[in-house]
Amino acid sequence: MVAEVEQKGRSKPENADGLILKPLYTAARQFAKSLIRPSTIIYPFERLEDPKFREEVAIESGRPIGVGQVWDNYRGVHALNVNTCISCNLCAFSCPDLCIDMVTVPGGDPKHPKKCPQIDYGKCSYCGFCSDACPEGCLSMTTRYELSTPKRAEMVYSPQKMFEIYQRKLPMNPIRLERPANEDSILLDVPLCIGCNACARDCPTECITMIDIPKANPKPGEKPAKRIWKEPVINDSDCVRCGTCISVCPKECLFWGTHT
Amino acid sequence: MALTTLWDVAYFLASGLLYVVSRIIPPLSGVLSNGDLVWGLSALVFGAILLAASMINTIMLIWFERKMLGRFMDRRGAMHVGYAGLLQNFADGLKLFRKNTFKPRDADGLGFYAGPTAYMVTSLLMFGVLPVSTGWSDGSLPLSMLLALVIFSFAPLFIFISAWSSNNKYSLIGGMRSAAQMIAYEVPILLAVVAVVVISGSFDLNTIVSEQRNYWYWGPLFLAMIVFATGMLAEMERIPFDLPEAEAELVEGWNTEYGGMLFAYFMLADYVRALAGSILVVLLFLGGWTLPAYFPAALTSLPLAGIVVLMVKTYLVFGVFVWIRAALPRVRTDQLLRIGWMRMIPLSLASIVFAVFFVLVKCIPVLGCVPSMGG
Repeated sequence: MVAEVEQKGRSKPENADGLILKPLYTAARQFAKSLIRPSTIIYPFERLEDPKFREEVAIESGRPIGVGQVWDNYRGVHALNVNTCISCNLCAFSCPDLCIDMVTVPGGDPKHPKKCPQIDYGKCSYCGFCSDACPEGCLSMTTRYELSTPKRAEMVYSPQKMFEIYQRKLPMNPIRLERPANEDSILLDVPLCIGCNACARDCPTECITMIDIPKANPKPGEKPAKRIWKEPVINDSDCVRCGTCISVCPKECLFWGTHT
Repeated sequence: MALTTLWDVAYFLASGLLYVVSRIIPPLSGVLSNGDLVWGLSALVFGAILLAASMINTIMLIWFERKMLGRFMDRRGAMHVGYAGLLQNFADGLKLFRKNTFKPRDADGLGFYAGPTAYMVTSLLMFGVLPVSTGWSDGSLPLSMLLALVIFSFAPLFIFISAWSSNNKYSLIGGMRSAAQMIAYEVPILLAVVAVVVISGSFDLNTIVSEQRNYWYWGPLFLAMIVFATGMLAEMERIPFDLPEAEAELVEGWNTEYGGMLFAYFMLADYVRALAGSILVVLLFLGGWTLPAYFPAALTSLPLAGIVVLMVKTYLVFGVFVWIRAALPRVRTDQLLRIGWMRMIPLSLASIVFAVFFVLVKCIPVLGCVPSMGG
């Protein structure tokens, strides 16, 4: 028993083959391999998304370029096409980090100032909900990932800055979720509506038209109203479901629902 | 005057300098033409050239190790300062030079500051002894190899002094380990050197190199070379034997408390010793500055050919040391001692026996004859 314990306690005698020669051989093989080109990419001068690396990786993995590599699906800084933005606010609604502020940009009329998203990348979690929610496809995510800056204020990207990124035509993240077709539409609680025109005024897609209606069933003995009552009619195919009309309605007579 | 040796070059520079000064200030010409003054100044110039050459080589050696170790780890090493990072070590040195050096409150000031300095100075002394080429040193010392090994074995004393005087338990343990390890591996190194001495019949490094004109000693004395190189690894405290600096156990070993330029002294002296050790391996076993006979004589008779050949060989030997560092893990203390006493010493004794046999036989058909035995 004692002998067994001693046998266990002693380390095995050194085996020159396994402990010295094999590591030396492995190291020499590695050295020879990386003498041609080490795995390290000289980062600021070379990038993994450079064409030569993309082709190399595509050849190695057997998949076509732009499919199934990390940097192809990478969600980085947003690109914003300010010209097509309709100020629908959906990106700011969908943002889980509340990092999107709608700020005024030049180009709108004084009554309807044009508002585009301004994103604080200090808070952004790059979930991509905003670009999924964007009805016009003007907010999308690029694969650009270099954000470091000495000042915290510079982490906030203005719409103009994101428009510059858009103009550079960087590779875009191809992922875009299709919006479900059978979504709720906006319904009107007719008796509450006062015909104030706020919804039609603020609708970014101008899919709300106010139509004239006669005031139904005036009470007996009352004079028919001189004023022409108006009522919004929403064109469902143009509506982007941004909910701006609901939020501006003073009487809260617009609501989400399904046509029955 | 033929500028064949470094001493001639230094003497030429010194006398030229004194001549220029005496032309500028004529009243001093009587004093400046004194022979002793010229001799002393040329000694200073000799030392300055030697110091500059050895330090630049040491820094290039560090660069070489960083680049090579990078390739072993599938990366590139220093890249951006200078071409391929050649000036990175100068930048690092400048940074260390600008830093403040702190002495721990309870440390012993004399030992704390004198230790690194003495370690550095004694390491640099090596290059005064090592003959780098036929045209390097003027006269040959009859016991230069013994002197080189003696200077090499000064190190544990100063390491232990600086470790003990920095008043830190990690430093002290590292210093004790270092001293024990270095002294333990002196024995196989000296025994391996005895084999070289037996076969070459001289303690003079110049003679040992010139005796290798028929064949280099790594053929007949392969075992002795293995033992000597392993012992040198332990003396340099490089990775398989870097117990004194074991980061997992002792913070940084015996230089835990050192920072700034004092730390730079230690690092630089380590690499000075690595360079000297590699040169020793080349001189003793790889033919020094000589090339085999099938190289054209025109190539070997170029002005600085000897130095270039020796430095190329030295860097190759150091490359093998880096290879070992990249491949092998650190050994334990018991393994270190077992390797030293149970493997290295029998191997070196066997190599002595083989050297004696080789001398008695005088000639071996494949390798050639022993020149010193009249072969």
